[in-house]
Amino acid sequence: MANIKDRYAIVGVGESERSKNSGTTPLHLALDAARAAIQDAGLEAKDIDGFMSYSENDSCTSHQLATYLGVRPKYVKDIMGGGSSTEMLIADAIGLIETGQVQTVLIYRSMNGRSGVRMGGGGWDVNMLQSAIEGGSFIIPYGAGSPGQWFGLFATRHMHETGLTKEHLGHVCVSFYEHAQRNPKAYFYGKPLTMEEYLHTPALSTPFNKHDFCLESDEANAIIVTSAERAKDCKSRPVYIMGIAARQCVSHAHYWSDLSEVASDYVAADVYKKAGVKPSDLHVASIYDCYSWVVLRQLEAYGIAPRGEVGNFVAEGNLRMGGKLPSNTAGGMLSEGYTHGMNNVLEIVRQIRHDYKGTDRQVENCEIGLCTGWAGPDIAGAMILRN
Amino acid sequence: MGYQKPIPLKTQDNQPYWDAADRHELVIQKCESCQSYSHPPGPACAKCGSTELSWQNLGSEINGTVYSYVTSYRPFLPGFQDDLPLTIAIVELEKTPAVRIIGNILNCTPEDIQIGMPVKMAWQDITDDRSLPQWIPVS
Ligand SMILES: [Zn+2]
Repeated sequence: MANIKDRYAIVGVGESERSKNSGTTPLHLALDAARAAIQDAGLEAKDIDGFMSYSENDSCTSHQLATYLGVRPKYVKDIMGGGSSTEMLIADAIGLIETGQVQTVLIYRSMNGRSGVRMGGGGWDVNMLQSAIEGGSFIIPYGAGSPGQWFGLFATRHMHETGLTKEHLGHVCVSFYEHAQRNPKAYFYGKPLTMEEYLHTPALSTPFNKHDFCLESDEANAIIVTSAERAKDCKSRPVYIMGIAARQCVSHAHYWSDLSEVASDYVAADVYKKAGVKPSDLHVASIYDCYSWVVLRQLEAYGIAPRGEVGNFVAEGNLRMGGKLPSNTAGGMLSEGYTHGMNNVLEIVRQIRHDYKGTDRQVENCEIGLCTGWAGPDIAGAMILRN
Repeated sequence: MGYQKPIPLKTQDNQPYWDAADRHELVIQKCESCQSYSHPPGPACAKCGSTELSWQNLGSEINGTVYSYVTSYRPFLPGFQDDLPLTIAIVELEKTPAVRIIGNILNCTPEDIQIGMPVKMAWQDITDDRSLPQWIPVS
């Protein structure tokens, strides 16, 4: 295996407007995000020869996007997928560049996640769900149709075993909402959350209330990946990929019969080894946050705090500015917006480039960051970035 | 009005499980090669890939303990609006702890449910010819 450490970089990031009702199509949103990322990199559209996207059948194709950017691409790929797809597609892009198929790849996620197809459900055909989800006929007839319930089953057991409390979940939410107050583009900008308010919010599905669930938003995000060599020609400050674990899986999590391990446990060992760093080397993080508990479980998986001590870690304010590992500093998917993880990637790139220098949003002296993806307890990926 | 909630779909791989449920019995798929149980059932053993599979009949006296649970206060699927709050639990079987089965806990308020609580399987007759395995607290 070729060692690709520091040989590839993210050279551009961009996003469309974020709203609850875009009034436009995923293709329009994707074009806005792509043009912004291309401009950020100081490239022209014709410099991009590979296009990739992930979706849940709720987007436009990357061939359409390339066409309306006026580009004849050498490579297009659209995969079905949600969380952890960004990391996987970046690794795929590196593989394609490494073998000379393409030189520069644009990866995007575009969705009318609020006004169009909502992940939170509604309108699903229950028999389609039974067939589409592995083992679906053993959960759907019991009313378990939301990831909030499936992950909740993991959370209840994990909290029982490790001593995590509702208040610890609350520290994740309160910390991320606090970050959102420094981000005028965040959904919950101007709407801070106190612990008291959090603890008084009724449960939607235990152990979660509405603050523990991610947002739904209409938006598109895009990033551009190329070789370190070509990155020198870009206008932006490159963010180098020290190591990337495209994807790891554990089996049978679809039926939640084994709650003792998650795919992130395997990703962690892999990504630290590839990047040649350890948890204490990290200055900033983007931790996939479709639910508050998912953050706590990943802090354990990635060795940021030992099992059993994750609750204290967040209670001490370590995810906040000035903490040991400021995380999801744009507000994350709990309070900024939701594109199955890519908005968290944009933010960590901007932190590591020191785009916010001179403002209270900049994490001081941040050189190395961890970005994690989580499709579920069963599938995950991650990357470690540096400036 | 007939039964409004989703009825388990029988497939090539799970039919013996749901046929047994209709008779108020529990059968679990077992791998003859590595002796592990496979639940939910599948086309091959998820531990070793073997297709040497059989069905073990565990009968109608099924005891277990709550391994984990959630209580939902809104319906996440159509048909459950009259079942709130709805408790969904993973139950570990007493005789075969490697097997964990999801179901609702009936006859119980959410405040009374906790991990480790003993429960037993009960079958709900949901249509003329279909039954759904569920769980009730052991008093
Ligand atoms: Zn086997």
